[in-house]
Amino acid sequence: MELLNLKLAFRNVFRNKVRSLITLAAIAFGCISLIIAGGFFEDTFLQMREAVIHSHLGHIQVYKKGYLDKGSTNPFDYMIEDPDEIKKLIASVEHVKFITPRITFSGLLSTGENTVSILSQGINPEGEQAISVIETVKGANTGVGIEAGENLSRGDMYDVILGRGLAKAMGSKVGDFIILVSNTAGGALNALDMKVKGVFFTASKEFDDHALRMPIATAQALLRTDKVQTLVVLLDKTENTDLVKNQLVNLFRDEGLNLELKPWHEMADFYNKTVELYGRQFFVLKLIIAAIVILSIFNTINMSIWERTREIGTIMALGSKRYEVMKLFLLEGLILGILGGLIGVTVGTGLGYVISLIGIPMPPPPGATVGWVAHIRVVPQLLFSSFLIALISSLLSSFYPAFKASRLVIADALRHF
Amino acid sequence: MDVVEVKELTKEYYLGKTLIHALQGIDLKIQEGEFLAIAGPSGSGKTTLLNLIGCIDLPTLGSIKIDNTDIGDLSSDQLAELRAAKIGFIFQSFNLIPVLSAFENVEYPLLRRKIKKNERKERVMNALKNVGLETFAKHRPDELSGGQRQRVAIARALVTEPKIILADEPTANLDHQTGTAVLEVMRGINEGQGTIFIFSTHDPKVMSLANRIVQLMDGKIVP
Repeated sequence: MELLNLKLAFRNVFRNKVRSLITLAAIAFGCISLIIAGGFFEDTFLQMREAVIHSHLGHIQVYKKGYLDKGSTNPFDYMIEDPDEIKKLIASVEHVKFITPRITFSGLLSTGENTVSILSQGINPEGEQAISVIETVKGANTGVGIEAGENLSRGDMYDVILGRGLAKAMGSKVGDFIILVSNTAGGALNALDMKVKGVFFTASKEFDDHALRMPIATAQALLRTDKVQTLVVLLDKTENTDLVKNQLVNLFRDEGLNLELKPWHEMADFYNKTVELYGRQFFVLKLIIAAIVILSIFNTINMSIWERTREIGTIMALGSKRYEVMKLFLLEGLILGILGGLIGVTVGTGLGYVISLIGIPMPPPPGATVGWVAHIRVVPQLLFSSFLIALISSLLSSFYPAFKASRLVIADALRHF
Repeated sequence: MDVVEVKELTKEYYLGKTLIHALQGIDLKIQEGEFLAIAGPSGSGKTTLLNLIGCIDLPTLGSIKIDNTDIGDLSSDQLAELRAAKIGFIFQSFNLIPVLSAFENVEYPLLRRKIKKNERKERVMNALKNVGLETFAKHRPDELSGGQRQRVAIARALVTEPKIILADEPTANLDHQTGTAVLEVMRGINEGQGTIFIFSTHDPKVMSLANRIVQLMDGKIVP
């Protein structure tokens, strides 16, 4: 029975070829739209995530215990004392690719004419260079771009690079001299003459408007300390963040180290909110597409039932039960859904690939300074969910016509012309 | 023995806003082996009576017993089982499933039974042979003539070995010669296998083949 029902459903689907093709096209189109839109969001989220991580967050940041709560008011009370030992320990954990120290402090920047408060980062140029490279995303920008002059490099001492917004606000150019004033760790006031070596930009406009970067040794000299504040940990893959985080927590506890840490996703507030916002928009888009698919199949199956009323009467007169008639029509919906879904998944994947070859030039997102080239990232989960939506929509839309068919009075159905 | 027992059967329905009294208190008993014609002009209630006996419509009043089972007591699924087991249908316009071949059309009512594939095939081929269509097994309905289609429908009604075959104007869409041939096939089955045939017609030549004629007029049996 099942085999013949399947055969019957299959043949019925292709009985009115034009109508079935239109329905298949509607299902496939829905599926393709979901894949292209979903793949676009997927790529946008991924590029944004990696840009945030590689511009300044890293995957995990390690601090002395208490820094996260009280470090903003007393940063120099929460410094890591033996960074080299801890670096070695962290490096022993699997998936850790690189560790670089940082000191972040506030200060005043003066050109002689203007003075502004700034966020200053003492960094290891090679370490930051390593962090800024985005290896996992094809065609992505680097996390930190140099707009003018050069980036910091090994051996630099009294050189700084300024964020794009900051340089503009100060009217500073490459080669200009500036004065950086800050409190030392002990509380005294100290100042350094520095030379602008370059102007940088990252994915975060806010950061670029207020930040400057200098070699960590110079920062330590300015602050009169040999400690560091943060160890920024870079991993081989972003997906390993939580795994490594847990391992580090255990490691610090086992070794009795007075350290705490924060993964990137707890720091990337803007990214999280953006993903949430666009995620909801995408959900609404999915609903709209599913509604279009449902309406289109509903129409086809409804028409087909109306045309085949007498046939339904016949198979019921021959002894088919109501649920068997219903099953037959649901089976037709299922076949349409599977075929349409498969066509959609195939064409969607191909189209996504072609669009990605060309790329979609995008303006800078809110809060950012750089545009990017979007691709269509077709991930298996997206293909699966699009296929599933096509399938469920097809089944749902066959349900009512199938139910209606199964409730017909046989004698009336047989009289139908 | 009475296989079908109809008592005070009344059927009324609305056609638009007009109440139609399709059957008005019919009493009828049909016995094993009958080849019964229900005759009467259009609108006399022939089709309604066949539909009610065939359990594909419900009476307004009265009762129908098939093999001593009152069908008024049965659920829609039980009625479906009763039809599948005991009743075969032949329709005026054949009502074959267009996407299935002659073989598959005849096979269809057998599929809900637990019969081995080989036996099923044998029974389908026998039924087709009975109506002289064994060489047309693979043809779809649109590749067959009217008479051939009706013979496939007879084979389909026959294949489950029902007690009763109901045929609503089986020859109305066929020319005289083909119609007679179809009726002769039916008659042969009736005589050979004892299957009861109840068929409606208003063609006197067709009536002459029946061994009993029930004459209907305005929903009543005319003595």
